[in-house]
Parts: sequence; C-alpha cells; structure tokens
Amino acid sequence: MLNNTVTQSNLRRRIKLRSYLTSYVMILPAIIFLLIFTIYPMGKLIQLSLWQGNAANAYKKFQGLENYRQILTVRREFKNALINTGVYTAAIVVLLISFSVIFAVWMQKDRKINNLAQSAFFVPHLVASVSCAFIWSWIFSTDTSGLMNAFLKLFGVPARNWLGSSKTAMICIIVMNTWKSIGYYALIILSALKSIPAEIYEAARLDGSHNSKTFLKITLPMLSPQLFMLLITITTGSFKVFDSIRIMTNGGPGTSTQVLCMFIYEFAFNRPNSLGLACAGGVMLMLILILITLFDFKSLEKKVHYQ
Amino acid sequence: MAMKDLQIKRRLRNYLPNLPSDILKIIIMLIFVFPFYWMFITAFKFYNEAIQTPPTLWPVNFTFSNFTNIWEMEVSFTRYFINSVVVTASIIVMQLVIMVPAAYAFAKRDFPCKGILFGVVLVAFMIPGQVTYIPIYLMMAKFKLIASLWPQILPFAANAFGIFMLRQSFKQIPDELIESARLDNATETQIQTRIMLPMCKSAMVTIALFSFVSHWNAYFWPLVMTNNEKYRPLTMYIEKIKDAEYGLIWNNIMAANVILVIPVLIFFFFASKKIIQAFAYNGVK
Amino acid sequence: MAEIRFEKVCKFFGSNKVIENLDLTIQDGKFTVLVGASGCGKTTLLRMIAGIGPATSGHVYMDDKDITDMDPGKRDIAMVFQNYAIYPTMTVKENIEFGLKNRKVPKAERERLISEYAAVVGLTEYLDRKPGTLSGGQRQRIALARAMVKKPKVFLMDEPLSNLDAKLRVAMRTELIEMHNRLKTTFIYVTHDQVEAMAMADQIVLMNKGQIMQEASPEVIYRDPNNVFTAQFIGTPPMNVLDYTECQVGFRPEKVHISRESHDAAFARTGKVLTREMLGSETQYKVLLDGVETPIMVKTADDSYVFEDNVVLSVEEEDLYFFNNEGARIRKGDVADFDKYIRIAGGKNNA
Repeated sequence: MLNNTVTQSNLRRRIKLRSYLTSYVMILPAIIFLLIFTIYPMGKLIQLSLWQGNAANAYKKFQGLENYRQILTVRREFKNALINTGVYTAAIVVLLISFSVIFAVWMQKDRKINNLAQSAFFVPHLVASVSCAFIWSWIFSTDTSGLMNAFLKLFGVPARNWLGSSKTAMICIIVMNTWKSIGYYALIILSALKSIPAEIYEAARLDGSHNSKTFLKITLPMLSPQLFMLLITITTGSFKVFDSIRIMTNGGPGTSTQVLCMFIYEFAFNRPNSLGLACAGGVMLMLILILITLFDFKSLEKKVHYQ
Repeated sequence: MAMKDLQIKRRLRNYLPNLPSDILKIIIMLIFVFPFYWMFITAFKFYNEAIQTPPTLWPVNFTFSNFTNIWEMEVSFTRYFINSVVVTASIIVMQLVIMVPAAYAFAKRDFPCKGILFGVVLVAFMIPGQVTYIPIYLMMAKFKLIASLWPQILPFAANAFGIFMLRQSFKQIPDELIESARLDNATETQIQTRIMLPMCKSAMVTIALFSFVSHWNAYFWPLVMTNNEKYRPLTMYIEKIKDAEYGLIWNNIMAANVILVIPVLIFFFFASKKIIQAFAYNGVK
Repeated sequence: MAEIRFEKVCKFFGSNKVIENLDLTIQDGKFTVLVGASGCGKTTLLRMIAGIGPATSGHVYMDDKDITDMDPGKRDIAMVFQNYAIYPTMTVKENIEFGLKNRKVPKAERERLISEYAAVVGLTEYLDRKPGTLSGGQRQRIALARAMVKKPKVFLMDEPLSNLDAKLRVAMRTELIEMHNRLKTTFIYVTHDQVEAMAMADQIVLMNKGQIMQEASPEVIYRDPNNVFTAQFIGTPPMNVLDYTECQVGFRPEKVHISRESHDAAFARTGKVLTREMLGSETQYKVLLDGVETPIMVKTADDSYVFEDNVVLSVEEEDLYFFNNEGARIRKGDVADFDKYIRIAGGKNNA
C-alpha cells in the first residue's frame, strides 16, 4: 500500500519535471537570442563606456566615469545632440498628437471618402524612411527642380535654402517625419474613437451638449489612455531618429541637426579612439528610454479603470 | 414615386454641409500622396525633364531607361535586391519558428521562473538597435561574421514584440480546447500547429507584416553591420547612387526608390483594409 | 407633462422600411409601454421622440408643437438608455450635473437639485465616485437621476432593466412605478418583455414589424385582444389557437378546465397528457387532443394529473376567442351568424 503511494508521487513528480523541461525547450531559442542580442549588449555597452578604445581594440585604456564627464561637460557635441533631439522630440510629439487626433475625428464617419483618406494618409508610414527622405530632400532642394521653392515662387515667396540653413533644416526634418507618421497614429486614435459607444454621444445631445463641448468634455477624456500611450510611443520613437536625418542633412548644416543617434554613430567608428564616448552616449540613451518606459508603466497602473 | 424624390432631396440636403470638408479632405489627400506620385513619374523621366522648371506633372517622354541604367551601373542593384529579400525572408521565417513555441509556453504552460523569463522579453521590448549595435558589432567582428548577411538576421530572430502579441492572442484560446486535444493524445507540436495557430491567424499576419515592413525598410542596422557592398540591402543601394560619379541624378535615384517601395505598396494595394486594421488595432505595444 | 403625437411617420434605413405611415397619440401623464419583438420599431419611435433618430418623413408633436426637427437638447425630454450611457470619465455628480450646466442653471440651484435627486435614487454617498467603481444597478440609478434632475416633460426609457439581474429587475420595476406615481410625468417605456409591459403600463402599445397591433390598457389587451398576434403575445404560456377552415379559435391556458370525466361546454375534447411542469401554486400541462395536431397548454391549480393520463379539456363559451383567417378578431356584434363559430369550436359543424 505505502509503496504504491510513494511510487505514485514519484511518478507525478517526474511527469511534472518533464513538463517543465518541455516548456524550457520551447522558450529556450527565444530566450537565448534575446539574452545574446539584447540583455548582454546592454551590459557590454556599460562596460565599454568605461574604457577608451576603438573598433579594433575596445579596451585600450580604462577611464572609469571619465567618458561620462567628457560628454556631459567638456565636449559640446553630446549636449548639442541632446538639445537637438529634445527640440525634435518636443515638436514631433506636439504635432503628431494634435494632428492625429484632428485627422482621426475628421475621418470618423463611415464613408467611402474616409476609407480612402485613411489609406492615403497611412501609406507614407509603410514606405522606407530613406525613400521618404530622398523624396523630400529633392522637394526641399535648391536645384531648379526643387518643388518647394518652385511652388512658393508661384506666390511670390522667395526661394530659401531649406536644408542648407541651420534655422530651417530641422524644420524640414520635422515636417518630413510628421507627414510620414500622421496616418499611422491617426488610425490608432481612430480605432479608439470607434470604441466609444454611440449612446454616449446621444446622451450628450440630450443633455444639450454640442460638438466642441462634447469633444472636450467627453471624447477627449475617454481617449486619454490612448493619447498617453501615444505620447510614450512617439517619444521613445523620436529619440531613435536617424535614417531621415542622415539622408536629408547628415547632421548639418554644421551640427544643427545632429541628434543623439547620429552622435553615437559618428563617435563609434568614424573617429579614432572615441568608442568609449559613443558607448557613454549609448548608455545615456538607454537610460532615457528606460526612464520613459518605467514612467509609462507606473502611470498606466494609476490611470486605467474608468470603465 | 413621390417618396423616392423626397428621399433624394433629403439626402442631398443632408450631404451639402459635408461638401467643403470633403473638398478639403481631397486636397489634403492629394498633398499627402503627391510626393510618391512625384517619385513615380520622375523614375520614368529622362534626366533633363526630371530637373526642368517648371516641372511636368506627367512625363513628356516616358522611359524605362532609368531602370536599365541602374541595372547596368558598376554595382548592379540585383545584388542589393537579393540581399534585401534574403534578409527579410530569413528574419520572418526564424521569427515564426522561434516565436510560436515561446509564446505558447508563456501563454499556456506553467514552469518555474516563468515571470522572470517573461521579464526578459519585456526588457528586450524596450531596448532598440541604436543601443545594442556597438556591442553586437564587436561580437560579430570577433566571430568573423561581418562578411556575411548574418549580422542582419540573427539579432532579430527573437521578436520580443511578436512573442508579446502572440502570447496575448494565445491566452484568449480557452484551455478546454487544449485539454481535450491532450485527451486525444495530441503532441505539443500538433497542439500548436493545428489548434493554436489557425485560431490566431490575424495576430500572425499582423506580426509578419510589421516585421516585413520594418526589416525591408531597414537602413540604420545594415549601415552599421556591413562594410562591404556585397552584403548591403536595397535601402543602402539608394544611398550609394547618391554618391556615384554623377552626383544627385534624381531620375536614377527615384527609379531605385521605386524598386524599393513597390513590394510594400503592392501588398498594401491588395490588402489595404486588413493592413490598416492590423496596424491600427495592434499598433500601440 | 406632455402629450406626444405621431402623424404619418415613416422611417427608412437606406432602402429598409422600418415604419410606414404610423399614427399614434401617447397620452399626457400616463405610463405608456411600447412593447414588441426585436425590430418591431418600438425603439425607433422612442428615438424619434428624443430626436436622436429623426423620422424620414411625417411629424412628431409635443403638446401640438412640432418637434420633428427640433434639437434634442431643447425638447425638454430625458432618456434612460439600455446601457445607461453614463459618461465614464466624470464622477456621479458631474454626470448628473452635465445637462444642468449646459442649460446654464446657476450653481446654487444645481447643487440643490443634485442633492435632492441623488437622495431620491440613493446615491448621495457615491457622488464623488467614478461610474467604473459602481455596480450595474447603481449605474442605472445615475442614469435615472440624470434624467430626473432635468425635470422633463417626458421621460423616455429604452429597456432600462434588461441589463440587470432578475431580482434587481423586479425591485427596480416597482421603483419606477412609484417614481411615475410621484412625478406624474408622461413616461414612455420600451421593452420586449410582455410581463414587464403588463405589470407597469397604464397603456400598452403592442407593435409588430412597424405596425401597431393594439393600443389599450393591460386589462383590455389581455381580455379583449384585437388580433391573434396580440392574443398570443400577451400571456404565459400564450393563448392556444386552433386552425379551422373558416376561422381560428383561441382560448387561454388559464381558462381550460381539465378533468377525467367528460364535461359539457362550448369546447370539449378528449386527449392525453404529454408533459407536466410543476410551477408551485400552478401546474402546466401539455395535452395532445384526439384529432388535433397542435398540443394544448393548460395552466391550472390541479396538480393531480400525470404523463399519459387520459383527460377531457373543456372551455366555456365566454372564454373562447374567434379570429378570421387573416388574424383579425371576430366579436359577437361583428357578424350575423356568430353562433356558427361557436358550433365550429364545439366540433358540431363538421367543416
């Protein structure tokens, strides 16, 4: 009798262990890849940021936190890149959120023209950043074939060197990236809009509320979770901007459009012995992204639950 | 019938206030799409016409010569095109193979340290290529893989976003289905391929689509992971033309862009509604 | 307090005709229930009164004022929706206050009204809570308070109880009746539940496919239906209706006399018990009569019969209802030879 129960529980334990083993096998490839290509590089980056070196020999001389001191206080380039990235991010966030909400509300009703509009505004998102950058580079170019100047000439506005002037170069980048992403974010807001039950709008009409009042007091608050998500997504996305700037201005003119990722790229392999500085910059970027995401999770726990 | 007339009049009356808004919408839609239109027609123009002012809205002399030109240039675009195709296809295949069992295990199976291991997935979610590329490059260089397509494929084989999404999708399948399959002696592989996957088709398509667009259009990663033209994809070819002997030959550049852009646009043309749905409803994390 | 009148209203959804040429007057101060199956048009009519689903043609009048195209916010009407439609991002207080604020009611007056009606619905302690933290029943009270606080001339309710559990539903039913007795305002209530309709209404408007089948008090609808549809819609189980070549004969399960020996009555038949459902104070039998295809439902206090018992069912003359083959009711004064129908029922006319 006793023998049976012991062997039974042994058997059960072995079956359980076998099940665990199978599960581990299932997740193993994914975990291995993620560890090798995400977790390990994070640690390695921090390590590299403590040394001075280059691609051939990354550990030439130990620096401790000197690299950080350099980029934050001594060298102007990092601070400049941070500011440029900040300006870009602020502009993009404001423009994208406000326009995507406006567009979403505009395309709300279920009509053929709205379906067409959704597609039309969305297409730029699917096209490669580099292609978009090329097209817009040409539009902004000062050649005779530059469309922007040609178009403005029709109204008597004088031609400008859009990409070649430090005042306007960033504006061009912002315009291009806004154009590229409006459709995508508008669709996200649109699907949130459509989940608001029609009855709420009807109740609001019966309560004597009209379009703008209903929008401000009812629609917008109900969209706030999605808007918040959008804020986080757009912000983290804009810190990573690289492709469009490299094609359109390559950080110029001067360093007026040099952003964080360009700084890291420039210092990593294009200058002698500055790999450590680039990695310090990379660690800073990593910290910023982690902070933003943590802030996101924290606030999400607080905000939700009005349903 | 008097009723029909009344209806038509009422419909017209109801539509009229929409007219100015619709006109504005069409204008803005045209403005949005115009850059692509411009890209397309330029690809079919001769150089002189491409750069002339005032610009022409339709090629006066239509030509395919740009495409043949870039084919015959010193480095032909076929190599780049093949690289793009191979890299993108390999990534998607590897992601499928790796992602499905992982998502299934996280969704439906219990095992120790499940939380911590899923935490790894979540952390990976947060960290982009711009942060990880330097150590990965050094790693690839050490293993002498830089002279190959592997650095563009391997780091993306595990798709954290995909695992996350697929797990959500799998979670919604009732446990009873799996239990009854187990009672029928199904193996784990069978459960995944014949029960779970067919029920999550739309999630799979969404993930594949995101992956396709993101890697087909990738520029930064191949830029930092390759130093030989042999392994570079189409996105970098376009940049190469820019630096070629003639400088900014817009008609050639646009021709190359057209080739890059066409596969995605073809997909979109055929499945636009589904694609929009996929991106919109799954877009935010 | 206001009377609502529909004049030749039509409603088309695209090419789908839902209501055509409907005339209806809803009396002032009464509790009127629009009842019918899904798609009969009852909610459509309600929404026309509210102004959120305007008629395709025709007119709607409130106290002889044409409100057909009037803005919903200006109609002095309040509506309680099936899913309550409370604003999820506002507190209970803000929900109730919203309509008042839009009408520029001064703050002191607003506060007074809110505390008065919050007390009436029992939500005073919840005023600063968000609806998401409250139960279904409580959310419904928010919807009620929001409606009441506007002191409207007409209260509209679109199946407000259907999302509540059974017990709460019954409790809320009596509360709504009490509310109506207290406020004495015109109540227009939509439901698909005939029990609810019978229990609550002063006046029932029974609808089917966009047409009004009968418009009368619950007693009249029960005792004197105008057509087969009405007769079978009201009452559980529905009226038994037998088909004959010249007419249809109906009688309610409650009015069937069941016995073992034969009984002399206008309608009498023998048969066998098919099923027996013991409901407590009453028992429901399904009886298959000899020579009759449709089984007959019987509802009686007598629970002594069992499966396969041979029984005799009989119905008195005054409990028989006659309908022509199109379903319209044939009453005694309508035709010369009314006795013919009684004979048909009795089986003595060999038709």
